[in-house]
Amino acid sequence: MTYKFDWAIVTSGKYFDWIVSGFYVTIKLSAVSIALSFLLGLIIAIMRMSSFHPVRWFAHGYLEFFRNTPLLVQIFFWYFGSYKVLPAVANDWLARQDFEFAAAVIALTIYTSAFIAEDIRSGVRSIPKEQMEAARSSGFSYIRSMQYIILPQAVRLTIPPLINQFLNLMKNSSLAMTIGVAELMYQARQVESYTFKGFEAFSAATLVYVAISFTITGLMTLYDKTVLRPLKGR
Amino acid sequence: MARKIGLFVLALTMVGAMCGAALAADTLADVKKKGVLVAGVKDSLPPFGSVDPNTKEFVGYDIDFVKYIAKKLGVKVEYKPVSSANRMPMLMESRIDLIAATMTKNPERAKQIDFSYTYFLTGQKFLTKKGTVKSLKDLEGQKIATAKGSTSEQNVAKAVPSATVLSFDDYPQGVLALQQGKAIAVTTDESILAGQLGKLEKNPATKGQYEIPEFAISEEPYGIGMRKGDTNFVKFVNDTILEMEKNGEAAKIFEKWFGPNSDSPIARGNFKITADKRGTE
Repeated sequence: MTYKFDWAIVTSGKYFDWIVSGFYVTIKLSAVSIALSFLLGLIIAIMRMSSFHPVRWFAHGYLEFFRNTPLLVQIFFWYFGSYKVLPAVANDWLARQDFEFAAAVIALTIYTSAFIAEDIRSGVRSIPKEQMEAARSSGFSYIRSMQYIILPQAVRLTIPPLINQFLNLMKNSSLAMTIGVAELMYQARQVESYTFKGFEAFSAATLVYVAISFTITGLMTLYDKTVLRPLKGR
Repeated sequence: MARKIGLFVLALTMVGAMCGAALAADTLADVKKKGVLVAGVKDSLPPFGSVDPNTKEFVGYDIDFVKYIAKKLGVKVEYKPVSSANRMPMLMESRIDLIAATMTKNPERAKQIDFSYTYFLTGQKFLTKKGTVKSLKDLEGQKIATAKGSTSEQNVAKAVPSATVLSFDDYPQGVLALQQGKAIAVTTDESILAGQLGKLEKNPATKGQYEIPEFAISEEPYGIGMRKGDTNFVKFVNDTILEMEKNGEAAKIFEKWFGPNSDSPIARGNFKITADKRGTE
């Protein structure tokens, strides 16, 4: 059987619009989750290094738990499982919102933050401990030493693994289609099931994913070059 | 000159080989030779196709049709679970010989594969919590659950454009979303919904709380899917299911899965298997 390519399907018209709308949702989903997971990852990393045992143990448990369960399970857990624990009023309210999107953000954020926390911790550990001692003896509190002395240096070292995590998060966002979030992969499948032109639909999706990846990598490199490198050179 | 003739002959042979390859698709002969009919069926969609938890065997309306066809061929059956989204590629890649998986015939699909006569007729309806939906109007602007890659998804998007369609991998997830109030209705063919309603009715916690309102948004003729141009096989399957109608086997199978004493009672009405072209043109 010979396959007739029909690229017009994904370059114009209704199906093109679907791919574009999927692109927007993927960008929104990834951007929100990247920002939140970085923030949460930072907090968990700091908790993980705390000298107060219960806090450290909590962070440790959090890391192990969320790093070692499949993301798909977590997505289903937040979407379907939350129903069992939340009160009826909350469930009713959530059902009327865009809870599909919210559940995907929660799952992606929590999952990715566990990896980011470990990356940041490695970055911090590579800063000589004398820096912390010097900071503390200069009268900075633990939090302030972290904020002004350790983290700015550590985050710079963490840029390459962070790029990785952000790229992973963006690609993982495609799993959100399992709970009905109309992101890029969902729309590509949709185009396939309407037209049976799977090759074209998924090629288009692939190109878009690659484009987003390059943009993320580019932005992070730019941030490193313009914001962080001058800091270090000073 | 000799080279040119040589090239010409080579080109001719290649064209010939390609035609040969196209004609060689004769599933009927292949299946008889192999002694096995590989059927793509649903494995979690009672009463059409599911795995009996006690015997671990495939059972259902689709399965009984496949069984009869295989018996007529004198071969064994191998069941391969398929989903709404992957069944057409599986057939076209020859990983299965036919599709008997609640598949609606429509013109777009008929361009890619061949269908048998209609062996089951139903319509797309909605499964809802009792009393919440009385007409199409009640669905406007709401979230409606269905399965990815199904015709139901396309029909409901057309019938209720203002609704948000939530597509899950399969219908049971949609029913879960309905139970949790994340969707106001699950939509697909009445026959499938009747099976899901049957499951809800069996559970004491949900018994009597759900219903399938009367109105429908489409007619769904089911066909057995076969590879395009597989003429002998299509004729054989068509003849077989016509025979099943004539000797009462088809009505018996319907009674077994959808009769008044089944888990998902619906009426067969005046439906009969005939040499129809429903849905394909």
